[in-house]
Amino acid sequence: MHHFYLTMSEENTVINLDRKVPELPNFITFLHHHFPSLPIVKFLHSWENLVFSILIAVIISFIALFGIRKKQMIPMGLQNFLELGAEKFNDLIIEVLGKQGRAYVPFLGTLFIYILAMNLFGLIPLMKSPSSNLNITVALAICVFALVQFLNIKNMGIFGFIHHLAGSPKTTIEWVLAPFLLVLELISQLARPVTLALRLFGNVLGEDILIGTFAILGVGLLINYSSVGLPLQIPFMFLALLTSIMQALVFTLLSTVYILLSGTHKENH
Amino acid sequence: MGSWIGVALAISAPLAVGLAALGSGIGLGRAVGSAMEAIGRQPDASGKILTNMIIGAALIEALTIYALIVFFIVLDKMV
Repeated sequence: MHHFYLTMSEENTVINLDRKVPELPNFITFLHHHFPSLPIVKFLHSWENLVFSILIAVIISFIALFGIRKKQMIPMGLQNFLELGAEKFNDLIIEVLGKQGRAYVPFLGTLFIYILAMNLFGLIPLMKSPSSNLNITVALAICVFALVQFLNIKNMGIFGFIHHLAGSPKTTIEWVLAPFLLVLELISQLARPVTLALRLFGNVLGEDILIGTFAILGVGLLINYSSVGLPLQIPFMFLALLTSIMQALVFTLLSTVYILLSGTHKENH
Repeated sequence: MGSWIGVALAISAPLAVGLAALGSGIGLGRAVGSAMEAIGRQPDASGKILTNMIIGAALIEALTIYALIVFFIVLDKMV
């Protein structure tokens, strides 16, 4: 009896429960497959995505801690690499947001590094990208949404914000059109976190499914001749590398643009 | 015969994903073509143009991904 170790994932409950999606196994599903009755394995399996998220956050923190152990004026080694990344990112954000953008660089930088680490983590054998789960991406999108709405209300005031959403009507004709414009703008504001979350989720899950499907194909092709299959999924892991970096960049840049549109600097109006 | 929803979805859902891919193919072709033209005119700015092209490509690509997500949601009804 050919026993595929490629377990089907039940985690993506937002999609459907009967048809399971093919994903590569990670160490939690592996443990769950072999020791399903141990309480620690049950705990790990039910909090699978959070376990991976926290693991990634701890790893990033340790890398940062090692990087700043020796604070040298002329940085060497790991400190040099981290400072290079931070400086380039700082320049990128300030180019979009202007000088006041410096205040938002920590949040956007954390978002970028965290999403990039989450996406790339799935390429390590026996690990999973937590961003292939809708819960994680919606949480990140809600953080961005909350920040943008807070900035909207802080910069324009609550009535000024509604006035701005209605298209800043000054003449009578514009006042007549204001209700329709208000509804349209509200829908577009609400659609922003939805598209942010769905874009990241869809891309990462799509890559995972692609890799899983080709791994199944690679094993299934030679199933009658040998017990070892071809690793057909390796070219798609290179593609996953590219889309991981792109999706992290797109999420961060879109958040930057939303912060810009919330009227952070009025001098250019 | 029973309900035809399985047959209807089996015809239309992959077709929908294919059409979404067609649309994004045309959009990406135009975007990358303009980027190539811009690089041809000013090879010095190729770094900035490349970055902006990649970001635009990811945004266009996302629309196809939405169609794929809808496909997975209705996959269950296809029996």
